[in-house]
Amino acid sequence: MIETTPKASSTLQFASAPIETILEVSHLRKTYAKKQALQDVTFSLKAGTSFGFLGPNGAGKSTTMKILTGIIKADSGSVKLFGQELTTDADAVSKYIGYVPQEITLYEKLSAYDNLEFFGQTYGVRGKELKQRIQEVLTQTGLLDRAKDEISTFSGGMKRRINIAAALLHRPKLLILDEPTVGIDPQSRNHIFEMIRELNREGVTIIYSTHYMEEVEVLCDEVAIMDQGMIKAMGPLGELLDRYGDNAIYLEVNGLQELPPLEHVTSTRKEGSGWVLETERMNSVMQHLLQLASTHSWDVKQLTVVRPSLEHVFLRVTGTQLRD
Amino acid sequence: MKAIIIKELKLIRKDRRSFIFLLLMPILFIVMFGSIMGGSSDSSAISIHVIDQDQSTASKSFIQQIDNIMDVKESPAASLNDELDKIKRGQFSSVLVIPQGFGAGMQQGKAADVQLHEDPSAKTDLAPIQAILSGISSEYREQKLSKTLLANGDSKAQVEATLASPIRIQHIPTSADHFDAIDQVVPGMTVMFVFFIMITMARRFFDEKKTGLLSRVRSTNVKPLQYLIGMWIPFVLTVIAQCVVLFAFGHFVYGLQLGDLFALGAVILCLSIAGTGIGLGLAFIVPGEGAAMVITQLISTGGALIGGLWVPSYLMPKFIQNIGHFLPQFWAQNSLQNIIAHGAHINDIWGPALILLVFGLIGLIIALVRLPAFLRSAVN
Repeated sequence: MIETTPKASSTLQFASAPIETILEVSHLRKTYAKKQALQDVTFSLKAGTSFGFLGPNGAGKSTTMKILTGIIKADSGSVKLFGQELTTDADAVSKYIGYVPQEITLYEKLSAYDNLEFFGQTYGVRGKELKQRIQEVLTQTGLLDRAKDEISTFSGGMKRRINIAAALLHRPKLLILDEPTVGIDPQSRNHIFEMIRELNREGVTIIYSTHYMEEVEVLCDEVAIMDQGMIKAMGPLGELLDRYGDNAIYLEVNGLQELPPLEHVTSTRKEGSGWVLETERMNSVMQHLLQLASTHSWDVKQLTVVRPSLEHVFLRVTGTQLRD
Repeated sequence: MKAIIIKELKLIRKDRRSFIFLLLMPILFIVMFGSIMGGSSDSSAISIHVIDQDQSTASKSFIQQIDNIMDVKESPAASLNDELDKIKRGQFSSVLVIPQGFGAGMQQGKAADVQLHEDPSAKTDLAPIQAILSGISSEYREQKLSKTLLANGDSKAQVEATLASPIRIQHIPTSADHFDAIDQVVPGMTVMFVFFIMITMARRFFDEKKTGLLSRVRSTNVKPLQYLIGMWIPFVLTVIAQCVVLFAFGHFVYGLQLGDLFALGAVILCLSIAGTGIGLGLAFIVPGEGAAMVITQLISTGGALIGGLWVPSYLMPKFIQNIGHFLPQFWAQNSLQNIIAHGAHINDIWGPALILLVFGLIGLIIALVRLPAFLRSAVN
């Protein structure tokens, strides 16, 4: 169960639960040359969660992730991993965290195997164990047969898969992925989704940053919506949809130019060839519409309950559309 | 750190641009400079254009005497104007004309004039020609004197004693069996191209930063100092390999004497630390790859010129020689030539070797000071 206090503050916390808390982030602030990149970001994660960071470019997702991985330091605030403060125990970062950056950070002139060998060694994996792990992650990525090929000969999707594999060699407990599917084909995207689901099933906690709503819906069971350096809302996906999604009906009638006045409808807006009618009394409005259709012999093309979408949640929470 | 070293060595091995800059180019330069300067210490390589307008026995004998010392290129008697045009165009520096009446004049015991038409702008080329002709002229004078003295009744011994110079020059080699152009060219080109490693180094560091690889490596176990040293060592090894290949090329292709291999190895090690240390410092202070390229060119070619890598330092003006003392290239060339040409050992070259290490150390200190800022700039 997650408690949130949306809008009022970005200091949102998961309620304590019997499941182990793996990560506790408190009051992170970061400023780049007078631009405040993070403003009081607070959240915590339980082990085994698949957590999505949703927000436009510049929202502060990457900055948060780079602080979590020790690449940059926050101006203030703290990050605890398994109860250990990261700033005083930097080795914990590399021991427990696997980081997949937004860019494809691989050596183009080296083979996939050589790249994985290098990153495995930088995480402290050596010898037979490293060889075995390389075989395993190459199998996971479906690129075992391309192990000896130069990365420069790979497609964008293949590179993305190896980019993820490089962060898995030391069996991290927390995998942080910063927009790992940018610019790839659907096949590779599906492969990556399946890899992430499999890792999550194996108990790896996932933090997944994206500006694609559908990726969050498919992969994450908990979501934080970020904008302008703040967490605007956070919680389980279903809960966010319930809390911020519209109660609305969509009506489309052939030849109807204008809707008659309707009781209990709080707002009406034109969408496509029909109207979205927001209401707190769905059944009553729906019955009324059916009566009107029968009375006026409307040629009804569509009369449906609008399913709450994350896009709508984002719009409600941030007041803007999700931008690229 | 070992992981970074191995990875870097693999990348350097696959970098064709570096191979061209570090090995192919210096070999081409050695071959080119070797051909131009090869045998320049041998006077038979000096050539002189001669026009014999007299065509007498005496003129032919005179030409033969010149030919024993220089390479004579004889031109037809009517070609004087063409030859003078060629001098003006800079194709050669002089032409010697033996005018009609040269043989007759000699027979009559008169002074027989020859004319040396010179390019006044080619003093360096003219100097040995003038000296050789002057020597031949002296020989003629001695022959004339000798004949006169013998005719006056002096014995042969008395004549020799009379003509003997009061000053005798003894030629005593200081230590080397020989010193020729290749002893200048091979170490010179090696030292010059060692400093081109700085471009490769700067490029690698900027690539790491630009592609986000440095940022990613920072999320692993690798500490900043391990990263720096891990990136540096492969370049030191590369320069050592570069020097070994170039000196081996000089040895096997041109018969370059390598001297004390232990001392040579020590200088090569110090040179590689100096070149890569400066490269390291440069990579951490310049704003971008373009600036690194320009500064490397300046250090490599400017240093080569002033440091005596192209022409021996002692041939340059004194103030240039003095500036050269502040450059690592001068000390590298100085110690390498001492080993190759003067049979120096480790005891003789430790001073210049230490100076090279100091240059490397300065670069390393700059890199260490700038490292935190470099790492910070890599994440944005």
